[in-house]
Amino acid sequence: MTNIHVVWLQGQGCTGCTVSFTNATHPSLADLLTGFIAPAEGVILDFHQTIMLPWGEQAIQVLDEAQEGQLDPLVVVVEGAIPDESTARETGGFWCLSGEKDGEPITFSERVDRLSEKAALMVAAGTCASYGGIPHGRPNPTGAKGLLDYLGRNWKSALGIPVVCVPGCPVHGEHLAEILAHAVLAVREVLPLPELDKEHRPVHIFRHTAHENCPRAGLFADGKNSHEFGEPNCMGLLGCKGPIAHCDAPKRGFIEGVGGCTTVGSPCIGCTEPEFPDRPYSPFLAKAPASFFIVEKIHGIGGSLGAVWSRIKRRKI
Amino acid sequence: MANKEIVIEPVTRLEGHYGIHADADLTAKRYVDAHSYVTMFRGWEIILKRREPADAIWITQRICGVCPYPHALASVEAVDMVYNAPPPPMGILLRDLMHGAEQLYDAVLGCFVLEGPDYSQQIVEKSNPEWWEEAKKTKAPNSEFHGYQTIAEIMTALNPLTGSLWLRSLGLAKLGRKMAALLGGKHPHVNTLVPGGVAMTLTPSDLEQYIAMLSQHIAFSKEFIPLFDDLCDFILSMGYEDSGERPMNLLSYGAYEDPSAYTAKYEDMTNWGLKRKISPGVVVKGELITRDLVEISVGVREFVNHSYYTEWTSPELEEDPLGNPLASEHPWNKETQPEPGPPRDWKSKYSWATSPRWQHWKKNGEIHVLEAGPISRLWITALSGNGSESTGKSLRFTLPRATIVGYPVADEFTFEWKIPEKVNTIERVRARAYYHAYSAYASLSQLLQATELIKKGQTKVWNKYKKPKHGVGVGMVEAMRGALAHWVVMKKKKIHKYQIITPSGWNAGPRGPNGELGPYEEAIVGTPVTEPSPEEELLGVDVVRVVRSFDPCLACCVHLYTGDKNVRQIDII
Repeated sequence: MTNIHVVWLQGQGCTGCTVSFTNATHPSLADLLTGFIAPAEGVILDFHQTIMLPWGEQAIQVLDEAQEGQLDPLVVVVEGAIPDESTARETGGFWCLSGEKDGEPITFSERVDRLSEKAALMVAAGTCASYGGIPHGRPNPTGAKGLLDYLGRNWKSALGIPVVCVPGCPVHGEHLAEILAHAVLAVREVLPLPELDKEHRPVHIFRHTAHENCPRAGLFADGKNSHEFGEPNCMGLLGCKGPIAHCDAPKRGFIEGVGGCTTVGSPCIGCTEPEFPDRPYSPFLAKAPASFFIVEKIHGIGGSLGAVWSRIKRRKI
Repeated sequence: MANKEIVIEPVTRLEGHYGIHADADLTAKRYVDAHSYVTMFRGWEIILKRREPADAIWITQRICGVCPYPHALASVEAVDMVYNAPPPPMGILLRDLMHGAEQLYDAVLGCFVLEGPDYSQQIVEKSNPEWWEEAKKTKAPNSEFHGYQTIAEIMTALNPLTGSLWLRSLGLAKLGRKMAALLGGKHPHVNTLVPGGVAMTLTPSDLEQYIAMLSQHIAFSKEFIPLFDDLCDFILSMGYEDSGERPMNLLSYGAYEDPSAYTAKYEDMTNWGLKRKISPGVVVKGELITRDLVEISVGVREFVNHSYYTEWTSPELEEDPLGNPLASEHPWNKETQPEPGPPRDWKSKYSWATSPRWQHWKKNGEIHVLEAGPISRLWITALSGNGSESTGKSLRFTLPRATIVGYPVADEFTFEWKIPEKVNTIERVRARAYYHAYSAYASLSQLLQATELIKKGQTKVWNKYKKPKHGVGVGMVEAMRGALAHWVVMKKKKIHKYQIITPSGWNAGPRGPNGELGPYEEAIVGTPVTEPSPEEELLGVDVVRVVRSFDPCLACCVHLYTGDKNVRQIDII
C-alpha cells in the first residue's frame, strides 16, 4: 500500500485548528499517525510547523520535496487565511511568509500556489482556511481569502477533487479527523468521497443548523426562552445565531461529548459560516434576523397541525 | 576564527510564524548578536474598530488558538469596565475555573510537545552527544515518583510522536481543554464569557465533573514536576546555566480573582490586583518595585522603531480616569498603521512585532525591557509575601491526596518553587512545569469557593447591565506565556480603539527606541554554542532552545489598531 503524505500549512491562522485537531477521539491524532486499522495505515505527517522536530532549512526542505512531486499522493491541509500579497508589495513588504528558498523569503500564498498543483486533495481546516474567517472580517486589511475563493470554486485537484472545507472557528477536532480518515479511505477506495454542499462542506456533518441540533430546540418549540444568561431555555432572545449557522456541536459536544456552545448555555456566534464574523452573525449578542423565525414558526405550525392530524387518524402501520 | 551567521526560519514547535537571526563567535563559542522577527500580520485591531465592544471577547480569542482563554478574560474584564458590568461572585469564579483549566493544558503542551523535544533523545544524541553519554549513566533522583530510572530514559520518553511522555501528554492536554469546554462550550475559543459574568447554565454536576477531571491533573503534577526537576537539574549540571540568561527584569499582571474584591471599576483595580492569588508586579534588577496594577498599566509603552508600522502623533487622552498622566506611547493613546517592509533589514524595520517597554513613571522615568512568563509571575508572587504560599524566597503549596488508576503518586504532595539564581533557558522551562502544579492548586481553591456559594444558594452567574455611551477599559491577566492586557476606548457605544499587548509581544519584540535588545535577543546574546561541530554546520539548537524556553506564541503578538484616519489608508493599501 502506498503511503499518503500529509503537509499541514499554516497561513493567517492562530493554530487553534491544530490544537482542536488534537481534541479528536475517533480517530485521534495518534490513531491517524500510527494507522489505527489496516486500510488507514501509512499516513505520514511530513510537515506540521507546530509539532515537527526539525526547524529552519531542514523543515522547509520537506515543502520543497512536496512541491517537486516527491511526496505522492499528497494531501495538503491548510489552516489560516491567505492574504493578498500584492497590496503588501506596494511598500516593499509582505503579510505572511512561509520559509525561504536560496535566501529569498517565500510568501504563504506562493506556497499554496505551488503545493496545490501537486495535491491530490486540498482540505481547508477551519473557517479562516475555508472562507477567510476573522482575517477577512470587515474591512479586511490584508485582503485575506479562504482557499475556496483563493483557488476558485471550480478548482479541482490532480485527482479531480474540489476543495473540501471543514469550517468552524476553530474546526471541530472530530470533524477534521473524521474527514481526513474518510479521505484516506476514499483514496484507497474503501469509502466514497463525501458529498459536499454549496459551500463545499461535507453534507453528512453540516446538513443541519446548530438550532436543529440544539438540545434546547424543544424548549424553543414549547415557547420557553431565556431572558438572562444562566437560564436553561432557548437563547434566541440573547443573540443566538443557531438558526442560521450549520453546526452539530450542540448535539455532538466539543471534546468527547463535553461542551457544545448552546448546550452549555451560550449563544451560537455562527463561526462555521462564510460571512463570519460579520453580519448577520455579529454583533454576537444581537438577535438573529427575524425573517428566519417567521418562516420557522409557519413551518412549526404546519408541522404541529400535521402531527395532531396524524394522531387523530386511524393507526395504519 | 570568524563569526558565523545563522538564520532560522521557520522556528518550528511554537505558535506562529517566526524567524531568528543570530551571530555566533566560534572562537569564544558564544552567540554575540541576535534579531528576533515575526513574519505574519492579520490586522486584528483594524477589524475590531467600530464593532460592539463585547464582540471583542470572541474576536480577540481568535488571535491565538493555543492560548485563547486569557484573551477572552482580558477582553471581558476590559469590557466589564467600560460597560460598568461587574459579575456576581459565581461568574467570577467560573471564569477563573476556565482559566485554570487552560493553564493546566497549556503547561503540559509547552513542556512536552513544544519545548520538551529539544531535550529528547532524538535531538540530544545528535546535538549534544556528551550529554547523552552522561544521561545514560545518570540515575534520575525522583524516579520513585515518575518511574523513569535514568535521565536518558526521560529523554527517550520525550521523543515526538513515539515517546511515552509525549504521547501521554496529548491526553492530559486534551483533558485540560475538556475542563474548559465543560464550562466554556468549547476550547479553543471558549464561548461563554459575556460582560457581567458568564453565559452558562450551571448545575452542580458541572462542578462535580470539573473536580473529577482536575483530580487527574493534581495526580499528574506529582509526577510531572519531579520529572522536570530531574531533567532541568541534569541539563544545568552539564554547564547550561548561561544559556538564555538575561537581567532580572520581570513583569506580571496577576491571576485568579478574589470574588469579593473584583468590581470591574478602574478605581478599585489596585485593590483587586493585590488580592489576586498570583500577584501583579514589576521586578527591576531583582527588586520588586511595584505591585499596583494601575501603576503598572499607566507605565506601559509601545514602540515601533523597528516594526513595520509608522509612528503616530499626538495623544488623545492625557490622563487616565484617576488623573494619572498618560504618555503618547501608552496603549490608550497609541495610533499605529501598518507599512509592510522588506524582510531582515536589521538596521531599520524587521518585524511585525512591536517593542513594548515599561516606564517607571512614578519615580525616575527609566524605561525597562521586561520579560513575561511563568518564571516572572512565580518570581513576583514569591517575593510579594502575598498569601500563605509566598515565603519571600519561594512559593510553597500542597496538593491533596488524589487516588486515580494509572497515576502512581496518590499522596498529598508539597511543592516548593524557589527563586532561582538566574533567569535562563532551563529555569524558564522549570517554572512552566511548576505552574502546572500551581494552576491545579489555584483551580482547586476557586472550585471550593464555588461549592461554598452553591451551598449558600448563590448560583447567579450573570448580572444585567446598562451600557453607557462612552468610556475606557483595561483588562490585565496572566496568560500561560505571561502578562496580557487589552485596552479599549468606547465612543458612541462602539469600539473607537482596541489595543492588545501580549506576553510574546513583550518577549519577542525587536530592538527598542534606543537600540536596546528585546528579551529574546538579550537572552540569545551570550548563550554558549554547545553543538559538536558548528564550524561545519551550525544547526542553531542552542538558539531554538532559548527561544522555545519563552514558549512563543507569535500570532498573539502581531495585530494592531489604527485611528479613524488610518483606516482609509488601509483601504488604499
